[in-house]
Amino acid sequence: MTERVAVVTGAASGIGAACARALSADGWRVAGLDLNTSATELSRTVDVTDRDAVAAAVDGAQAQWGSVDLLVTAAGYDERIPVAEISKDSWDRMLAVLLGGTVNACAAVLPHMRRQGSGSIVAISSELGLAGSEDNVHYATAKGAVIGFVKALALECAGDGITVNSVAPGPTDTPLLEDGSPWREPDYLATLPLRRLVHPDEIAATVVFLAEEGSFFCGEVLSPNAGAVI
Amino acid sequence: MPAQFPRVPVALVTGAAQGLGHAIATRLAHDGHLVIVNDKEDSAALTDLATQIGGLALAADVADPEAVTELVSEVAQRFGWVDVLVANHAAMAMAPFLDMAPAPWWEQVEVNLSGTFRLVQAVLPGMRRAGAGRIVLIASEAGVVGMRNATAYSASKGGLIALTKSLGRELAREGIVTNAIAPSYVDTPQLQVDAADAGVSIEDIKAAAAGRIPMGRIATPQEIAAVTAFLVSPGAGSLVGQVLQPNGGTTRTRA
Ligand SMILES: NC(=O)c1ccc[n+]([C@@H]2O[C@H](COP(=O)([O-])OP(=O)(O)OC[C@H]3O[C@@H](n4cnc5c(N)ncnc54)[C@H](O)[C@@H]3O)[C@@H](O)[C@H]2O)c1
Repeated sequence: MTERVAVVTGAASGIGAACARALSADGWRVAGLDLNTSATELSRTVDVTDRDAVAAAVDGAQAQWGSVDLLVTAAGYDERIPVAEISKDSWDRMLAVLLGGTVNACAAVLPHMRRQGSGSIVAISSELGLAGSEDNVHYATAKGAVIGFVKALALECAGDGITVNSVAPGPTDTPLLEDGSPWREPDYLATLPLRRLVHPDEIAATVVFLAEEGSFFCGEVLSPNAGAVI
Repeated sequence: MPAQFPRVPVALVTGAAQGLGHAIATRLAHDGHLVIVNDKEDSAALTDLATQIGGLALAADVADPEAVTELVSEVAQRFGWVDVLVANHAAMAMAPFLDMAPAPWWEQVEVNLSGTFRLVQAVLPGMRRAGAGRIVLIASEAGVVGMRNATAYSASKGGLIALTKSLGRELAREGIVTNAIAPSYVDTPQLQVDAADAGVSIEDIKAAAAGRIPMGRIATPQEIAAVTAFLVSPGAGSLVGQVLQPNGGTTRTRA
């Protein structure tokens, strides 16, 4: 059997790191792209807004292992700013990382996947992209845009043997939710049907499912969110 | 990630004599569940399946409240309780809205929606005592976007989706999570109903459906069984009240 090769952005922390671990445990070769060094077989420090650098890292993984079978885009960040105070730079950077980073990574893997006639892409969006949010409208907007992008790309790739879907995590126990984050407050957790944060390994399990057995999902959004958005 | 069941999970799969239910039972057994397969009537297909997968066949008409109670107490006597319920049974009949008499219209709601409601009611006390449970309701694309000449079926499936969301909200805090799957066309004998309604062969129905689906084909029962297996696996514990739509891109609407 040929080796299955995954490229994971945001692999140095949180959800991306959990995805990389779960994939490795399942026998995948994993290249991690992040601003920071990741605990992956092929760690590349790359800013996902740099299209050429992303392409070079993806091509490197392909050259080393012979294929690119899965892309997981988990690079991202959040910042809480009331809408009136979001500067042009904050807005642009948020869209560049969340939406642009996803677009850059997809553009880098698709030529390889098209040549192979197979592959899957799982873009990490957010429940806030489905349901909106306050105090980070640039984040919610960018995540909603990722979902729109995924749906469109899925249709474009449907005939090529490539699946494109999104996982929209609910509040997940990673460094993204800093200490004192409103999503860690007991009052907030009490509003969740599940009464707890999502574990990053649960996001990873959903990603691995889509990659390995989600062969009839096309432009769908799976949302492990503890019941935050139903 | 919270651990799930403290024992080999016991799964009850309804409507398992053929098609999707058969595939789901087979997959869950393969994944290490002890599977009880149910269908409306005893049949060689049902008992053969039970033998093949090392499970147990229990026939019962889920539209009959007493039969449901008996089914679940039979399971309780043998195995204590049900850990995983997959409500896959369905009745489907097609006709233009006004051409379908009230009796066959309501029969579909009775089987698909009320039957599922009673099954959930019956398995719940055991899941509560165990402090864990997974419920997967097999809905349909028809419950999301509707379907011509299938008002009763679509209403029942739409009802299942709302039931899923409400059970998700109500039960998750107890460790019992409910989700639904809304497939579109799956390669099973149920396509015969569509074929008869359209007055064409089942092969024609498959080809026509494949032509409308962006992925260019219909689903295999095994693909939908894999989705079910994921939803009852340990890693899926934070999916609550969700409707998964493995449909090849055909449904341009989110449940
Ligand atoms: N934690 C949650 O509650 C939650 C909820 C919904 C969605 N998400 C999304 O999941 C993804 C992962 O988040 P997380 O919770 O693991 O956070 P995290 O902060 O633990 O990890 C994010 C990773 O992305 C990397 N990154 C950020 N900007 C980058 C860039 N420009 N180029 C390359 N790498 C970059 C960071 O270095 C970090 O390693 C993000 O897209 C986030 O928006 C998280």
